[in-house]
Amino acid sequence: MQPSAAILIVDDHDGFRTFARSMLEAAGFTVAEATTGAEATDAARTIRPGLVLLDIQLPDFDGFEVARRLAAAPDPAPVVVLTSTREARDYGARIAASPAAGFLPKDELSGAALRRFLARDAP
Amino acid sequence: MSRRRLAALVAGAIAAAGSLAWSGWPPLSDYLPILICYEVIGMSFLVAGIAAWMRWPASRLGLLFTIVGYLYLVPYILVNLANPVAFTIGNLSEGLYGAALAHLGLAWPTGRLRSRFERGVIIAEYVTGVGFGLAGMMFWNPAFIGCNASCPANVLLIGAGSRSAWNAANTISGSVELVLTGIVLALIVRHWRSARGWSRQAMVPLVWIGVAIGAEQILTGNLLLLPLSGLVSFGLAPLVLLAGPALFVISTVRARTAGGALGAAIVDLEPGAAPGRLRDALARALGDSTLQLAFRQPDGMGYLDTAGQVVEVARLDPGRAVMPVTGSDEAVLVYDEGLKLEPQLIRLTAAAASMALEHTRLQAEVQAQLEQVRASRERIVEAGDAERRRLERDLHDGAQQRLVTLSLALAMARDQAASADPALGSLIESASKEAREALTELRELARGIHPAVLTETGLTGAIQALVERSPVATTVIAVPDGRFPTAIEATAYFVVSEALANVAKHAMASGAEVTIRKRPGRLVVEVSDDGAGGARTEKGSGLRGLADRVASAGGVLRVDSPPGSGTRLEADIPCP
Repeated sequence: MQPSAAILIVDDHDGFRTFARSMLEAAGFTVAEATTGAEATDAARTIRPGLVLLDIQLPDFDGFEVARRLAAAPDPAPVVVLTSTREARDYGARIAASPAAGFLPKDELSGAALRRFLARDAP
Repeated sequence: MSRRRLAALVAGAIAAAGSLAWSGWPPLSDYLPILICYEVIGMSFLVAGIAAWMRWPASRLGLLFTIVGYLYLVPYILVNLANPVAFTIGNLSEGLYGAALAHLGLAWPTGRLRSRFERGVIIAEYVTGVGFGLAGMMFWNPAFIGCNASCPANVLLIGAGSRSAWNAANTISGSVELVLTGIVLALIVRHWRSARGWSRQAMVPLVWIGVAIGAEQILTGNLLLLPLSGLVSFGLAPLVLLAGPALFVISTVRARTAGGALGAAIVDLEPGAAPGRLRDALARALGDSTLQLAFRQPDGMGYLDTAGQVVEVARLDPGRAVMPVTGSDEAVLVYDEGLKLEPQLIRLTAAAASMALEHTRLQAEVQAQLEQVRASRERIVEAGDAERRRLERDLHDGAQQRLVTLSLALAMARDQAASADPALGSLIESASKEAREALTELRELARGIHPAVLTETGLTGAIQALVERSPVATTVIAVPDGRFPTAIEATAYFVVSEALANVAKHAMASGAEVTIRKRPGRLVVEVSDDGAGGARTEKGSGLRGLADRVASAGGVLRVDSPPGSGTRLEADIPCP
């Protein structure tokens, strides 16, 4: 277990951020929040999170665009996990085409699920 | 023409013909062909007179034809009457019909002479005709032609007459007549050259007859240029004289069919033809190449014809006349003034033009209404699509979001309760399961309302998602990359979605194929299966609705579904 890994939750839905934060903190993560794509890229630069949980539907850019910008940021780029209340198939090939590490439906969020992404992307 | 006038003309013609036959009967053996010639030629002018009176009541041509006819026939009747006075008058007036013929030619086609000069020429024709007739008769003794006891006396003869004086009078009269004929022919040619449209066409037979009469004058005794005078006088001259009335009667009969030609011109005109085409058809049927169809300009700037020329309706050029198109103060016909002789034809033309223009206007109106209906149908479908997209998004942002949060909260509660109170833990677990199922059902509902994948990825991803969910094995043959206008993507998507639903429900197929291809200006969506066939747009309301949906995008849905040979459904949608 790597309690030091910081998670950045990017979502404009307050309720989701609140529950996700308490769930992930309970699972031992440090958690930061952002509500827009622009905030997310700023926070990624300053906080340098290990993983970004990125909602696809944001008020400014969509999640795919934010993922592209995060991937272009200086090393080490965070592990980006796209999320949505919709299912992966609603986004077709866009998820596979994005630089994100993967997709996790919001209702399947858990500390264990995020750790699997971190472990898979560990050097 | 009144019945009384017609009866008088017919009776006069019959009387003249009868008198000639009676006065000349029994003919000498070599005189019979000449008698027949005079009968035929004289009668042809009288018949042409009746025809002209009937065809152009406003013209004096009928009167002039009739005068020529009587001036031709009466002298010969008088000569045959065995009466000295009649014999003398008949002989001196036998060439007068030529003056009337010149009058007829110069006055064509209105029957009125155009200038004082022309009136002078015609008066000279009549005066010299009578004058030289009188002068000649003073010296002509019937014995000169071997007619001693059998001829009545010449009451004007001075003494025993003088052959040389009579010859001199004839020579002078022939020369004067030749000059006058030349002037008349030149004037006719000038009329013909300055005439336009219908008037010019109406003068064509006259010009030919004028040329023939000129040739006849040169060939016969007047110039004595050729030793043919006998043959020409008794063979060619009657034919030339006959040609005039004959051509006129023929052209009258043909003019009677002009009304029918108008009808045919309108029928042949394809619906919605441009006004220029209408003008051309009317001009052809009317025989007036100068015909103009002019329309009042909306800004009150006068009239423009179909060639874009300004038409001064209030101040027409000389020789032009105007007729409003029936039932419209927006359009007028401007035509050759000569056509005023055919008022019925002009009225018919105006009515035909009115019908054709009204037809075109109604057609344009129907077309515009159809276009409005098509556009409003397109807007209704697009508004429906937009509403479905909004509903799907509302569900996603609202209820789905809350259910997700609820699921997360229940999962956390379950984790915390499980160790302290297993019964509570399992209760929360079942609540959590219910929430997840509700979320799944809500997602399906949202997808049915509008597929997010279509909004997110366009046709490629959306069709792939449809195919993956289809219970019948389905292959995607081709789907073009890139995005298309929302309405077109939605239509193409619903075609495939409905077609695959039908395959699953009705086709009893083992496989299906989806092909979408971009063609120039359109998108062609094709779904085929190897099932039972027999599908029809009229039968299934699903296919009917789909056909409506495709039509709303301006496209066509074709269903080829022979029983037992599978179904092929093709939507051809306009697409930039």
